[in-house]
Amino acid sequence: MLPDDISEIETTVRAVLRDVLGLSAARADAFRSDTALFGALPELDSMAVAGVLTELEERLGILIEDDEVDGEMLENFGSLVRYAASKQPQ
Amino acid sequence: MIDHYDLPGGGREAMLRFGPETGPVVVVALPLFEEANRVRAFAVSICRALAACGVTSVLPDLPGQGESLVPLAECGLEQFSEGIEFAARALGHDRSLYAVGIRSGTLLDRLTILNGRWHFAPQDGADLVRDLTRVKQFATAADDTIAGNAISTALLDDLIDCVAWTEADGGPVRTVRLNTDAKPADHRVPGMPLWRRAEPGNDPELAKILADDIADWIAACEG
Repeated sequence: MLPDDISEIETTVRAVLRDVLGLSAARADAFRSDTALFGALPELDSMAVAGVLTELEERLGILIEDDEVDGEMLENFGSLVRYAASKQPQ
Repeated sequence: MIDHYDLPGGGREAMLRFGPETGPVVVVALPLFEEANRVRAFAVSICRALAACGVTSVLPDLPGQGESLVPLAECGLEQFSEGIEFAARALGHDRSLYAVGIRSGTLLDRLTILNGRWHFAPQDGADLVRDLTRVKQFATAADDTIAGNAISTALLDDLIDCVAWTEADGGPVRTVRLNTDAKPADHRVPGMPLWRRAEPGNDPELAKILADDIADWIAACEG
């Protein structure tokens, strides 16, 4: 089953950041929607961005177009969750 | 222990060897390129756990990968598959041979002498190329490599159409995936996708679960 409602999507985005960036559960659990990501989280470098996007695609069954990926989408946890929720599973 | 295998063209590559001198041999195929670095320690844990189950395994450096002196730019799927074949054959012709593939390593077990194939989180070639393209797009380095790998255009073209071996191709195939992965699988296990981690990690508990599954499956295949 693919996650479909917003709270499940938020849980999945949180789990992807934790698993791909190797964050402790406590750190990932503390993310709020205004927690800054790209540029603020040292683990989230350009290589890790690719891993996060691909893992989100796999777990949510969505397709992320690379030209949609910008600073705004990755600005904070809330913006990434909103972006993921806006994509329909394929 | 550190061993080696010889290639028909005169090349020689290193491989790690674990387990007893008799019985079935498992040849472990790491994912290609960057993911190999991220799961090498994990693969060694699987090999050690297999040895504890009494199963022999080898973990070869394929031509153009790992510590190989062959330039990656000169390598294609044929060279990688040949590496798997000759690493497996290096332990003798009278033992049954099984492949264990991780991620894109599942694209390399093309040799027909294998008695079976066990695949963990298989990634098809099109998805791998998509990953590589994405990594290159976000990379800051302005060179022609993809995260330091000089991958030839011919290899990328071959990879795009490449999918893992299935039972329709012959012989038993078992597919195991993480329980966060929605794609079809024969069995699911709990764990994190270590191949996505920028810093190489390990998961000895998952390695033990997988090794037990591999050992049970081989025992069933051997009948």
